[in-house]
Amino acid sequence: MKDLDYLKRLFKAYYKEKPSEIPIITDFEHREFGFIPWDTKILMNRHMSFINKDSLVKFLINNGPRHVYSSGALYLKPENQEMKSKEYYGCDFIIDIDVDHFYTPCKDDHDIWYCKECGNNGRGMPEKCPKCGKSKFKTLNWICKACLNLAKNEIIKLIYDFLLPDFGISIKDIKITFSGHRGYHLKIENEKLRTLSSDERREIVDYITGENLSFENFGLQRIGENIFGFSRETLGWSQKILRKIEEILRKPNPEIEIILSNKKRFNFSGKKIENFLNFKEDFLITIKNSHRNNWTLFGFNLNDWNKFLVPIVKEIGIEIDTPVTIDIHRLIRYPGSLHGQTGFKVQELLPDEIEVFNPLDELNEKLDPIVFESDKFITQKLEIIESNIPATEMKGETHGPYSQGEIIEVPHHIAVFLLCKGVAKTI
Amino acid sequence: MFDLIKRYPWLPSLEEYYSDISSKDPLEFIHEVFKSDKVGFLKKRILSIFNAAFENIELIQDYAADNLNIYLYIILRILLYVLDNKSISNRIANLYSKNTYNELNEDRDYNLFKIYQDLNLEVKYEEEPIIYKKRVIKDQEEIFKTKFKIFFIDYLKLASNLKDPYRKLVNNALFEGYVYVKPKNLNRLIQEYVRIKLLTQKKINLERLKELREQLFKNPEFKDLFNEIKNLWEKKKEDFEYALDTKYKRGKDMLKTFPPCIEEILSKAEEGQNLIHIERLYILWFLNALEYPEDEIINVFSKLPDFDREKTEYQVKYAIKKGYTPYSCKSLKSYNLCRAIEKNDELCLKGYYSKTKEKQQEIYHPLRYVDVMEYRNSRKLKNSKKNLEKQNEGS
Ligand code: SF4
Ligand SMILES: [Zn+2]
Ligand SMILES: [Zn+2]
Repeated sequence: MKDLDYLKRLFKAYYKEKPSEIPIITDFEHREFGFIPWDTKILMNRHMSFINKDSLVKFLINNGPRHVYSSGALYLKPENQEMKSKEYYGCDFIIDIDVDHFYTPCKDDHDIWYCKECGNNGRGMPEKCPKCGKSKFKTLNWICKACLNLAKNEIIKLIYDFLLPDFGISIKDIKITFSGHRGYHLKIENEKLRTLSSDERREIVDYITGENLSFENFGLQRIGENIFGFSRETLGWSQKILRKIEEILRKPNPEIEIILSNKKRFNFSGKKIENFLNFKEDFLITIKNSHRNNWTLFGFNLNDWNKFLVPIVKEIGIEIDTPVTIDIHRLIRYPGSLHGQTGFKVQELLPDEIEVFNPLDELNEKLDPIVFESDKFITQKLEIIESNIPATEMKGETHGPYSQGEIIEVPHHIAVFLLCKGVAKTI
Repeated sequence: MFDLIKRYPWLPSLEEYYSDISSKDPLEFIHEVFKSDKVGFLKKRILSIFNAAFENIELIQDYAADNLNIYLYIILRILLYVLDNKSISNRIANLYSKNTYNELNEDRDYNLFKIYQDLNLEVKYEEEPIIYKKRVIKDQEEIFKTKFKIFFIDYLKLASNLKDPYRKLVNNALFEGYVYVKPKNLNRLIQEYVRIKLLTQKKINLERLKELREQLFKNPEFKDLFNEIKNLWEKKKEDFEYALDTKYKRGKDMLKTFPPCIEEILSKAEEGQNLIHIERLYILWFLNALEYPEDEIINVFSKLPDFDREKTEYQVKYAIKKGYTPYSCKSLKSYNLCRAIEKNDELCLKGYYSKTKEKQQEIYHPLRYVDVMEYRNSRKLKNSKKNLEKQNEGS
């Protein structure tokens, strides 16, 4: 409890010293706000609104909340308790990309589970506890540069493969924020997009994830002994898929073999791969010629083609957290506020800033989410209270891994991070 | 533009070009129109529309793009308003919009473009047709080209109501913000727009409605027309209006155990709104899986505007024989039929805690939803019985 009070004081001090970090988002007074306090008994205080930035900042200084959110939606009466009486009149278009929601290989190294039943623990994401067979887990998700890079790449793909070329979105309407933990939000500020219903938003989600794509619609079909595929001239997804196929075909054979035999992706048998490689040159010529699309390949039936195309679609599509985009009443993190699980600042970014942005070791001071880094080398003493804490890499230094009961002395920002994560206590 | 409005009186610029009408008091308007309709052409045309709608004919026989057509449209709307009957409105809206679709398909590009503009749709017209899709089968090339493209947001607003897979954005040619689409497909979307427009009336306050009716009935021609339509309907409606009695077998609380997606389709059917193909299949397979008797299932469809008892009977029998299982939540989501988010349904959104598996389970199938709800209800019943017993013991 005393550590939570300490963090709360730190957060308050941040808001007091750096009110300029809190931007004023568009239509500020029409947003609903929500706060999660440090007091673990309270889930969330929501249905609040502020008439101007000053009143929000004052609230933040007085309360130093653990998490700060505001609605993507706009309401005439955001403070009303009932959704119906808030008088909704539109919602920003928001896309959330968060490592929590998709698979990354390194999670097996740094995400930890604890079995609530028998106390066993381990890494990755098992179905059930290998010791007692139950599946009641508490999880501890760690930050990691590789994961954050994957999330960043998804954002870049989203912008340059989808939003700009296909949707014709103007880059100046795009706002990005680093969530302060393991992901990014992307917001498109555009009056017309604000009017979209949930159903209409789902259609856009399907487009950028490739969900519900119909290969048949693009021409894949069997006629007699022959199988016919897509044409270069079909605009939209068909072209994306062909481009990806070409990219794969241009790789040297051993590499293709590895790709196609990958159990998590294509999972083709040796025989099938051999057939495929024999057909490779022909296939390349076919997909480059707009008058040909006979994809007949010995030993490959329609099912195999589907099996081949599904992972390709998955690779082209963007890993997004769908409900965030569809649910128009959702609250999202407020830019400039602090994330209570890390102590990092939720950092706004321009599209051209994200490419070199490095949340765990950012050189541009204005964009640096690690706000508790102290100028002088101030260290703090902590005791680790959970088992198997992964290594933490921040500001070019690695701290840990740690085991339970260990007494450590670490720089201030690492201490804040470990306290926020709830894996250490001050001594 | 005048000629276009005569042909398509639902165009927004009706109000602008015929401002004298829109500023008029409805009663005065009705007086004037019927006074000038000495020979009864207008009345005849209106009745023929209602007749066609009640007989499931999909075409307005004597549709003409004349001045009268504008009056006809306005009176049609007034009639639907005062009739205040959802089944009738749905039938008229379906027929009228289908007819619109046929008219649009016969029109010239130039006119279509003006119509899209009038509807405030961001549609662009290219002088040369653009190839946006091609299918090659052997030496046969099927080439899709068009001169029209529509801004994706406008496309979504028109299309997301229609759930056919090929209309989904992901399966379309989207480039720089525009969806390439043939006029025929666009016109199908306009059909839906017209249908919805005819169905959307201002909220009706019963008092006010009565008042308005009485006022309008001061005009004897209007009153006659109104009554004639009512009589027509009374005669026809028995064919459609079997009470939608979905309580079956597992007791009358069955309906309460249905997931939001089914609830929505049932209430649409109840109101006689048109159901798209996928909705029909889904509800059919769903009710069949719960072993609803044939008659009951057929009755669910009986209020649909294009209901044909024989055809439906055949389809239902066929489905029962085949024993298809209804769609899973995943498919329903892909067809935009899932209503979990809109209805904020706890069970759908959060799943349920399974004792046997000892973890939170997702609802992945609507039948699962029914099972869980039934289980919960039976528990409630047991508990309340127990409580009752306890009370009795106590006293
Ligand atoms: S989650 Fe499944 S059962 Fe619930 S509304 Fe959606 S589709 Fe229906
Ligand atoms: Zn265990
Ligand atoms: Zn990682």
